[in-house]
Amino acid sequence: MSAGGRARANAARRLSVLVGALSVPAFVGLWELVARSRIVNAVLFPPPSTVAVAVLDWIHSGQFFGDLSASLFRVTAGFAIGATAGIVLGVLTGEFRLVSSLLSPLFHILRPIPPIAFVPIVILWFGLSETGKLFLVVWGVFFTVWLATHIGVHKVDRGLIRAALMLGTPRRQMLSEIVLLGALPYIVVGLRTAVSISFYTLVAAELAGAFAGIVYRIEIAQQNMQTGQVMGGLAALGLLSFVADRSFAAIAERAVWWR
Amino acid sequence: MMHNPLRPTSPLRLVDAPPAPSSATPQPIIRVEDLSIVFDAQRGQIIAVDRVSLDVMSGEFVSLVGPSGCGKSTLLNAMAGLERPFEGQVMVAGGPMLGRRPDVGMVFQQPHLFPWKSVRRNVAHGPRALGKSKTEALRIADDLIEMIGLTRFASAYPHTLSGGMQQRVAIARALANQPRVLLMDEPFGALDAQTRAVMQDNLLELRDRINATIVFVTHDIDEAILLSDRVLIMSAGPGRILRDLCVNLPRPRSSAILTDPAYLALKRDCLDLIRTEGRKAFEQMETAT
Repeated sequence: MSAGGRARANAARRLSVLVGALSVPAFVGLWELVARSRIVNAVLFPPPSTVAVAVLDWIHSGQFFGDLSASLFRVTAGFAIGATAGIVLGVLTGEFRLVSSLLSPLFHILRPIPPIAFVPIVILWFGLSETGKLFLVVWGVFFTVWLATHIGVHKVDRGLIRAALMLGTPRRQMLSEIVLLGALPYIVVGLRTAVSISFYTLVAAELAGAFAGIVYRIEIAQQNMQTGQVMGGLAALGLLSFVADRSFAAIAERAVWWR
Repeated sequence: MMHNPLRPTSPLRLVDAPPAPSSATPQPIIRVEDLSIVFDAQRGQIIAVDRVSLDVMSGEFVSLVGPSGCGKSTLLNAMAGLERPFEGQVMVAGGPMLGRRPDVGMVFQQPHLFPWKSVRRNVAHGPRALGKSKTEALRIADDLIEMIGLTRFASAYPHTLSGGMQQRVAIARALANQPRVLLMDEPFGALDAQTRAVMQDNLLELRDRINATIVFVTHDIDEAILLSDRVLIMSAGPGRILRDLCVNLPRPRSSAILTDPAYLALKRDCLDLIRTEGRKAFEQMETAT
């Protein structure tokens, strides 16, 4: 490439970085202008400054961290339980035909039912307790991780299994190392999908009735017509889910470092 | 093993292996008796190996040669215990090939290294699986890695190595359990011509330093004659052994003999054999290569 061509390419790259950095501030600025111009109803569509004040109030009142920790606990505990069960059962159904014959038909029937549809029965079973909320998140996470693991186990390179067999690898190590790590690239994809599913089910669980939580706070604010607080809650949820996805992606990158 | 000197006055020819000597001599380390292996296919059953019997003596280097699909890999897998006999049996070192047999090592056409383990840990896998301490397993690994000349890459991961290097690691890994029998299934088949020649020389050198009987599957007649004491020529559909031939070329050998007139005479004989005795197999080989 000529010197001029390279300079042009550099200029184009710099321009696109600049535009990218301006994207969010420009959107917020436009929103502020539109909301203050009285083109729209400022009560229903509050400007970002009002949202920011609402968020600050939320933090100062001390409720924010209570809500955050309640939601975080539901997501992480539900994810951990659902993912562990999904991986263990996925390895078992993937590896043992009999276990698969026993469980796979059942799982395939239950899996397509959207977890949110279980809210009514969960309220009947568990009332408004934490168990019910955990149940929903676990339910949502489990099937995704189970299916990814089950498929991953089937896709493990048969050559690796044979090589390990010929080296005298004991049965237990075969499952816990060769099969599990061989299926890991698939499992990780399932886990990442499950991260966003855990947030969907969290929303359903908290809307169904709770005493704390980010989505619970959004619902209360909606009932009180505090639209600034509603939007603040949405922003907090979006940020939380974004951070969760990105940190998971970073962890996954390291977990499957040999790819 | 025979080590006949190369005499220009009497040109070397392939000779049929003498019948297995009786009682006084050592027992074969591998004994295949009336082995048949049948696969279920969509259009009925396919006989991959048809009533094959053969003995491999301790310390021998035996090659199985034949066209693609002649059942040579299936026969090797049966020796590895990876394929169940339909009829007959395979005895290795006096025992059937059932369950874990770490005294039998195997190298496949693909290296099949554990991608999440470094070269050292790959080679140490076998000794660890057999319950050796971590220190001892790593010591064994380091010795073998030095022997294959990859000490500089001991802590590298497989995906950073070339195909030839990966296959050397796979050989070292198979040797780490000090197997009495080493089975090799077209181990150099996926490598380019130059790398293959280097690997063949490496294997000839390595063979003098390890104490293992080797059974080597290949479709490359050059490779089989260069490396082996005996060449078993197989025919396709169903898999049978056509001829059991002694290679009386002197050792030590290297790939340099590939241009030696005596060697070429051997190869011509070998090809004639295949042509006359296994027209069908040869035609299939033409299409496969």
